[in-house]
Amino acid sequence: MPKIRSIAGYMWAGAAIIIVLATFFGSGFFSRTLVAASGVKISPLYSGGEVMRSVDHGSYKALIHRPVFDALIGESKEGFVQVNWEPLAGLPPVIEEPVDYNGDGKEDFSIRIDTKTGKATLTRINPLVLSVINTVKLDNGWVVRVQLKKD
Amino acid sequence: MKTDTPQVPRGEGLGRTIILTAITAVITAVMFSQGKIPQDPKGAIALILTFLFANTLFFLIIYTGKTDRYRAVYFSTFAVMLIVSFISHMLEARGSMSLSEAKVFQCEVPFCHLVIPMTLVPIALTKTIIFPGSLIGGYASIASMFVLWIGATLALGRGFCSWSCFYGGLDDGFSRVLKRPVIKKINPKWIYLPFAVLLFVALTAAAYLSPTYCIWFCPFKAVTEFNAVTSTEILIQTIIFVSLFIGLVIVLPVLTKRRTQCAFLCPFGAMQSLTNKINVFDVRIDKEKCVKCKRCIQVCPTLSMSEESLEQGRTRITCMKCGKCIDSCPKGAISYHIKGTDIPGKRNTYRLLFLFAAFLFLAIFSSHIIQDGIVRILKLVTTGSMIS
Ligand code: SF4
Ligand code: SF4
Ligand code: SF4
Repeated sequence: MPKIRSIAGYMWAGAAIIIVLATFFGSGFFSRTLVAASGVKISPLYSGGEVMRSVDHGSYKALIHRPVFDALIGESKEGFVQVNWEPLAGLPPVIEEPVDYNGDGKEDFSIRIDTKTGKATLTRINPLVLSVINTVKLDNGWVVRVQLKKD
Repeated sequence: MKTDTPQVPRGEGLGRTIILTAITAVITAVMFSQGKIPQDPKGAIALILTFLFANTLFFLIIYTGKTDRYRAVYFSTFAVMLIVSFISHMLEARGSMSLSEAKVFQCEVPFCHLVIPMTLVPIALTKTIIFPGSLIGGYASIASMFVLWIGATLALGRGFCSWSCFYGGLDDGFSRVLKRPVIKKINPKWIYLPFAVLLFVALTAAAYLSPTYCIWFCPFKAVTEFNAVTSTEILIQTIIFVSLFIGLVIVLPVLTKRRTQCAFLCPFGAMQSLTNKINVFDVRIDKEKCVKCKRCIQVCPTLSMSEESLEQGRTRITCMKCGKCIDSCPKGAISYHIKGTDIPGKRNTYRLLFLFAAFLFLAIFSSHIIQDGIVRILKLVTTGSMIS
């Protein structure tokens, strides 16, 4: 028995060296496999959630994400909806966008962004719409997050 | 003739050392260059210097039989070069060290291993990563750090903290500044604090779906990236980062000669300690040889040696496998060990197997960062600026 344990120990120690080399040689492959096999994604609290709808304005488009109420378990009482406009080069000096965030065919709020100053003005229609959380200029456009209350 | 179990361990003979170093030389040549010599002269110089640096240190570790002395030189150089390389990279990409909101919204924030403990519960329950980084591709992607962490955990356990972490070399380096400690008495109960921090940040991160340690406590924000101070909250966070860095990474390591940040704060280190249980390498004490001089207890940078350790012949779970106690023991009673084998047994073989795994991890992981750091320094010397 001690001999078997000793052999197993040596084999495990040898495997440790192989693991080190494999970690670096196969880093790209293992990274892709890890992501594909686990199915993990960046939390929508950071990514803004999946894009639900795209509105074409000719020289630019608006991307309306799904409302994010994600919590560790279930949903939280407050969340947000993210809207992106891109590309930067095609944006007008002032962006105006009516947004139907819940997809019921009715406008929930309208947002106006002055791309020179970054000033955002929110016109609330749906009472579940609260306020503007962030307005940020990105490398390829603008993004806004509007705070929402759960129904 | 040398036996396999000397009273006080010595290094290998010259011939054997050259053969062993030749093995690492071949592996590091392939891994450092990735099969091509850089066209840019600065890049070529950096590659050659990094290669020589790594293999000289490996040669010395094997030939002298001293592990920690040369490991620490490598480990601290890695940490310093990380700062040089990271800051240059950030200045090039963003024009400043501060993290812009755009990078957060674009999910382009570099990911580091210290975030991992906070991501595990949300991954398990929501299958999402609570960090605004890139999953694959880009600078320091999330998946690549997870792969490195899994590899290091399987191969080294908490040896990660002496052989792989790009921050650990800072407090390790500062803990060597003075010859003798100014503060000698430290309550050993402090070693449990990182476990409490781990529990706290894991729970708060899960509750708020936010990497709370990164936002509020990480001392290394002070030398990598931080939010531009635009509110009182960010000002408080910045004061915390800078205070923890100055206190735990510089001042206390100098005064105590211990790795205080790693031993008394880092939640990742605490989690990594638990992985020592599943790792094949440990550090053991031959009770027959030990004369209870307690030198090992005095020198251990993480308080992982205690009188209880001497009684039991094993270190505490927090041991980082740095080798300092092994180098310091006047009786050669402490050695690296492979679980399941005899003590002292073939201690030189155990040591070599551990060193190959640990050293290769450090050398390969650090190689591009050290090379980039050297290129930046050469640029600074020749053009007056580290960035392109
Ligand atoms: S304790 Fe933390 S900072 Fe220190 S070496 Fe380990 S992971 Fe790095
Ligand atoms: S340094 Fe060596 S001899 Fe002294 S107490 Fe530690 S193990 Fe024993
Ligand atoms: S017990 Fe020895 S090997 Fe472990 S951390 Fe302390 S000095 Fe380093």
